[in-house]
Amino acid sequence: MTVDLLKLKDLLLSVEKPSRYTGGEYGADAKEDAPFYFCMAFPDLYEVGMSNLGTKIVAESFRRRGYCADFCFTPYKDFGEGIRKLGVPLYSLALRKPLGEFDMVGFSLQYELCYTNMLYMLDLAGIPLRREERQGGKYPLIVVGGPCAVNPEPIADFVDIVFIGDGESIDADVADIYLECGGATDEFYRRISALDGVYVPALTQVKYTDDGRICGFEGITRVKRAIVDDLDGAPFPPTQPVPNLESVFDRSIIEVMRGCYRGCRFCQAGFIYRPVRQRSVETLTRQACSLIASTGYEEVSLNSLSTGDYTKLRELIKSLKQNLPSDVTLALPSLRVDSFDGEFAQDARRISLTFAPEAGTQRLRDVINKDITEDEIINAAKSAFDMGYSAVKLYFMTGLPTETEEDLKGIRRICDLIKGAYNASPRKKALRISVSVSTFVPKPFTPFQWEKQISHEELTAHHEALKKLLFIKGVSLSLSHFETSVLEAVLARGDRRLSAVIESAYKKGCVFDGWIADFKVEAWKQAFEECGISPDEYTRERGEDEILPWDFIDIGVTKDFYLKERRAAYAADVSGSCLKKCNACGLMKRCPAARGEI
Amino acid sequence: MICFKYTRTDGAEYLSHLDLMRHIMRTLRRAGIELEKSEGYHAHPRLFLNSPPPLGIPSVAEYGTAATAFGGDFMSLFNEFSPSGIKCLAAKYSQNNPNYANSITSCRYEAEGIDRFDPNLILGLEHIGITDLRGRLVDIRPRICAIEWQGSVLTFTLGAGENNLRADLFCTYLADKFGGRAERILKTDSFGEGVF
Repeated sequence: MTVDLLKLKDLLLSVEKPSRYTGGEYGADAKEDAPFYFCMAFPDLYEVGMSNLGTKIVAESFRRRGYCADFCFTPYKDFGEGIRKLGVPLYSLALRKPLGEFDMVGFSLQYELCYTNMLYMLDLAGIPLRREERQGGKYPLIVVGGPCAVNPEPIADFVDIVFIGDGESIDADVADIYLECGGATDEFYRRISALDGVYVPALTQVKYTDDGRICGFEGITRVKRAIVDDLDGAPFPPTQPVPNLESVFDRSIIEVMRGCYRGCRFCQAGFIYRPVRQRSVETLTRQACSLIASTGYEEVSLNSLSTGDYTKLRELIKSLKQNLPSDVTLALPSLRVDSFDGEFAQDARRISLTFAPEAGTQRLRDVINKDITEDEIINAAKSAFDMGYSAVKLYFMTGLPTETEEDLKGIRRICDLIKGAYNASPRKKALRISVSVSTFVPKPFTPFQWEKQISHEELTAHHEALKKLLFIKGVSLSLSHFETSVLEAVLARGDRRLSAVIESAYKKGCVFDGWIADFKVEAWKQAFEECGISPDEYTRERGEDEILPWDFIDIGVTKDFYLKERRAAYAADVSGSCLKKCNACGLMKRCPAARGEI
Repeated sequence: MICFKYTRTDGAEYLSHLDLMRHIMRTLRRAGIELEKSEGYHAHPRLFLNSPPPLGIPSVAEYGTAATAFGGDFMSLFNEFSPSGIKCLAAKYSQNNPNYANSITSCRYEAEGIDRFDPNLILGLEHIGITDLRGRLVDIRPRICAIEWQGSVLTFTLGAGENNLRADLFCTYLADKFGGRAERILKTDSFGEGVF
């Protein structure tokens, strides 16, 4: 069945940005006649999802095997409720095929506040939300992947399969086995659960003590993350669909490396994507040229967690400039202050530069292992100003372990020093500093996974202090929303009992929780109350001997390493970059840097 | 300069004018057809399109001009690299920019679903007052050029440019007056200097 746009005409004319829902994107290649139909679903708006590279890589891994890989995004409520009224199921974009007719629907979970969007998409597609309601082979396999999948327990009741780790290595293998087994049979689940990177929630049971703490796991009690060793040989799309409307990052994207050498102790991505694997200059040049030729974009973004740490960055930029059309610009969105180099930033649009000191004092930066000094921050700012930048964005966090009033004052000090650096030379424009302070969320698979989340009272006090400290000319302050940070912490650190809360919140109208205007705090509170679950249970400090909900997942980094790093944090000891010395995180055998190959 | 006639169908009728411009520019980049740039401080590619039809009305009679020194088979290359709903139907070289946004003075449409009526009941009127989308009372009669039935399909020609009348508003007026509902409106032709 194909959804006819003509039937949706009145609806399309009544909604915001109708071209989100029409399909027809150039380069969106979905096979109409394929042995296996996969729909890559992104639980956020079209403009956000279209900017995501990971989903395109996963889709490519299906296409390479001759399977259909289509796309679908969360419709905003105007369109979602419209198709519900018309009785039209949610459909994919390239084939305009209802999601329920695919063999597999895969959700890419980029952040915890999109969980209700996943339920919204299933609901609009007419697919029962809970796994137990989807028996009988009538519905597609519902699978998830992405960074949030490292603790999939809060959504375990909704999904059939969780892909943990590098999706391009394993997702399409599961499709092969599905076809070999003739569907989602017991044999299928038995075979796939033996693969690295595949977690089948139905095959693992969680045991609780009388006071509600986890006391063990039964069934399959160890799931290893899938890791691609050779990124050069891994699937990468030679082209990318060009969105119908301007997306958040409307440009070609290449991934220069995966993982980060730095090991900032708050950063989940820095641990769950270890070890660092780089693509070669030749591969990246070929990929960039192919994308520019096939999309028509005028900009290539060199993405990674810390592009300045790519060991051959100078060589790469030279190669790209030699091989790409001369009017194509390069964007380097993730430069650390200590890797900021005027030469690298030359190509970027000189509007505003973003630095992330994360903490206001050297002591606290040492606690979180953010291995940069005040001098490096100021020198990077000076270089930027000398190149013509007149606006700086600074990212900080509050609620970090061991944080004191002095650390908040340190944020003011950094602003003053940057202003001083700017005003040291005559400039044409006035300096603008945007300070963004987010709330620290202790995430699984980090040395801070045991920490408590800051309380509302403490955070309010911090916010008030920051408002007073940063009430200065030329500085704007943006503070994160407490309730969404708490919910993020609860869902990130949660267990299976939260599935009931998420479902209840969804049924009370919670969708697009990551969008402040749509966030319904009262509905979430009611959902927790009705399920008899306190969010405090999930934001409290965890004992080091406690079994954590995600303990059965083996990311590759050892628990001993996290504990060692936690101790180092409290001693304000910096571990430093993996490029300087190996800290023995547990992935040494698979790490090119540990083997001395980088 | 290359003047080209193109479609806006298969979902492309829901693109905003700016997004459409972006798509055509990217199509030309993919095809290797280099556009000349303006000479201002913020140089931009010189691509000119006719005034867009209302959102949601497909068209097989859109016109544009690309300032380029390209001398090859424009239509084939364009169609090889364009999205499915934006296809070139004809192209020709021109010394000057016809400025289709101004030169197109009327457009023909077809629609289905409106109950049959005698076109003279409209064409015989001196004035037809309707309330436009901004709530103003306007006389649309001077902007109605022709109405004709071709079997069950109604074809009508409306003013464009300075005398523009939206086809969807006109169909709503007809449906209110004679019954039925315009299910499929398609822009089939544009008229004016330089069209081909």
